[in-house]
Amino acid sequence: MSKKLSIMDIPDEEAVWPGNPACQGCGGSIVGRLVYKALGRNSVRVEVASCAPGFMNIRVPSFYAPAFEGAAAFLTGLSRGYKLMGREDVVVAGLIGDGGTVDIGFQGLSAAAERNENIFWFTYDNEAYMNTGGQRSSSTPLLARSATTPITEKSRGKSEAKKNLPFILALHRVPYVSTASVAYPEDLVAKILYGKGLKGFRYMHIHAPCPTGWGFDPKDAIKVSRLSVESGLWPLYEIEGGRRFRLTYKPRELAPVSEALKIQGRFRHLTEEETDTIQRITTDNWDRLLALDGGEIC
Amino acid sequence: MKSEVMVGNKAVAYAVKLARARLISAYPITPQTTIVQYLSDMVASGELDAEFVNVEGEITAQMVCMAASITGARVFTATSGPGLLYMHHALHGTARYRLPVVMAVANRGVRTMGPDHTDLMAQRDTGWIQLYCENNQEVLDTGLMAYRIAEDERVRLPVAFGLDGYVLSYTAEPVTIPGQEEVDEFLPPYKGDYPVLPENFDAEIEEYKRHWSQGKSIDEPFTPLPADESFSHLTMVKWGGGHDLQWRWRAHQEAMTRAKKVIKEVDEEYGRRFGRSYGGLVDEYRCEDAEAVIVAMGTIASTARAAIDRLRGDGKPVGLVKLKAFRPFPAEEFARIGEGVKAIGVLDRNISLGEGGVAFNSIRSAMYGLDERPAILGYHVGLAGNEVRVQDITRIAERTLKAARGEKVEPLVTWV
Repeated sequence: MSKKLSIMDIPDEEAVWPGNPACQGCGGSIVGRLVYKALGRNSVRVEVASCAPGFMNIRVPSFYAPAFEGAAAFLTGLSRGYKLMGREDVVVAGLIGDGGTVDIGFQGLSAAAERNENIFWFTYDNEAYMNTGGQRSSSTPLLARSATTPITEKSRGKSEAKKNLPFILALHRVPYVSTASVAYPEDLVAKILYGKGLKGFRYMHIHAPCPTGWGFDPKDAIKVSRLSVESGLWPLYEIEGGRRFRLTYKPRELAPVSEALKIQGRFRHLTEEETDTIQRITTDNWDRLLALDGGEIC
Repeated sequence: MKSEVMVGNKAVAYAVKLARARLISAYPITPQTTIVQYLSDMVASGELDAEFVNVEGEITAQMVCMAASITGARVFTATSGPGLLYMHHALHGTARYRLPVVMAVANRGVRTMGPDHTDLMAQRDTGWIQLYCENNQEVLDTGLMAYRIAEDERVRLPVAFGLDGYVLSYTAEPVTIPGQEEVDEFLPPYKGDYPVLPENFDAEIEEYKRHWSQGKSIDEPFTPLPADESFSHLTMVKWGGGHDLQWRWRAHQEAMTRAKKVIKEVDEEYGRRFGRSYGGLVDEYRCEDAEAVIVAMGTIASTARAAIDRLRGDGKPVGLVKLKAFRPFPAEEFARIGEGVKAIGVLDRNISLGEGGVAFNSIRSAMYGLDERPAILGYHVGLAGNEVRVQDITRIAERTLKAARGEKVEPLVTWV
């Protein structure tokens, strides 16, 4: 399990170049910067179609896997290739959006996890296809508005719950699965430093607020992510060996979900009843995780 | 050197083993399946020192090969029919990065299980070199030549070679297996082009900056890898290009053109070293003094040899042209052949619906520049694995000869 870090323990060296053409307040940019700060420069980066190839200028060999569905396979090929070169020390990492993870890339991802490929997968989850204009993915949360789940008389946003990828991958019994948030960089870095020391398939699912797609003031990106964690909407945890579960951050008391929801345009349409529904599901989920904390998932 | 009676799929596996491939990734599909099994046996027994990646689908198989090839590994995959269609997207990626991936395709129809060439010929615009084989010996030999062609500095393109499903993949014939030492001399180890190790990154970027600055104002600020990926830029440094995005298509097309020469050279060298060669792009059989020729691909060419022998025995001046390389397309060869004959009959075991036989149309197009063009007749044969017999081909050749002798032969295109 990861060791607790203070913000002062985060490495000073930047792996990104200055300058960034992403939207103001982009959570994905912060993810890229933190991930490669923690991984260091003896690593490579794989991306598929998403926002990140457009904005991340990271000083490691970078590959655009030329098929949206092919990230896990491309990572596999690189990892096996470095093994053949006798260079297993190179960390083969993917910086993949939620669409490339939960939807179109899922078959290959599941297969790579099952084969326990020696790769480190980072999902920066902005909860929709933000690079193509904010269409729904299976990572879009319940009742959120998106470009393809509009708010009309007949439609109240997304009618299904978010797909729980970290648990699905944990059930592949891979060495390490974790969640993280840009608002808790010391937690995020601690988990990467721990994961870096392991061999085999490692997965991190990171909350990456998107001001453009979610409809909030760019200055509030960290606030949105913090409130999501504080309210239990985005729990921070890690799962080792596909079984041992630990919450890495436990708020003394959960903040109401409305705090996080009300500052996001994609939830502005929510009625009090709908907010209550989300609150009930979130509290219930948090209670389940608390019960698992320190034990095994199944 | 020794001989063994083996099915086509085993001949493929022997080629891969003799080529000392370092990584194999494939997904099983009939009638390619046993290629994967033979290779997994070879890797498991230690006969072949390679990574074997059992994947969950064909796109993945191709993506794994693509990425491993970037790191400098000699790689191999194999598929068939619908599996090849599923791989289509990734085929473009491998070609885009100019990687010398080699793939065997046990040709299978895309609507039925029977053998036809539509699966691979439908990939004609992906930028892969395509070679077709007529017997199991040619399968093994082509597998070895494929790596030499793909890795040639003047080419650097992926190569697919086809063997007709069942007719070759599951049918045993005697095959001569070249010795490992001879193969090692013919095919030295592959070393990748791209220095993709993290410690080389800063130096590569400097090189990229120098490249970028060519033709640009020196005062213009350097933007580090804008909106793209460093590897892609590195390939651009190697293969030329820069700001003109169309340039890479042009460079690829030029490599395809150069590949025509390389395929012929490699085939000749293979002949010198191993005593077997296949004509390079096309194999001309009994074409001397022919008034008409027929054109066939894959195992139909093998059947056609018997038909040509029969007709020549009857004194009928008909020859066979086996189309071995479909991409790059040997238009110059056909123009030369077209100058010497009065009619060409093209047998297509494939179809581009709405236009017809792909080889028929390409060959007709190759004749356009001739002052005196021969008659070009098209024959749809063997689709979905329909049997093609010697007597069918004899009739086709006789009909083509009639056209060569000025008789009116209609329609131009027929279904056999």
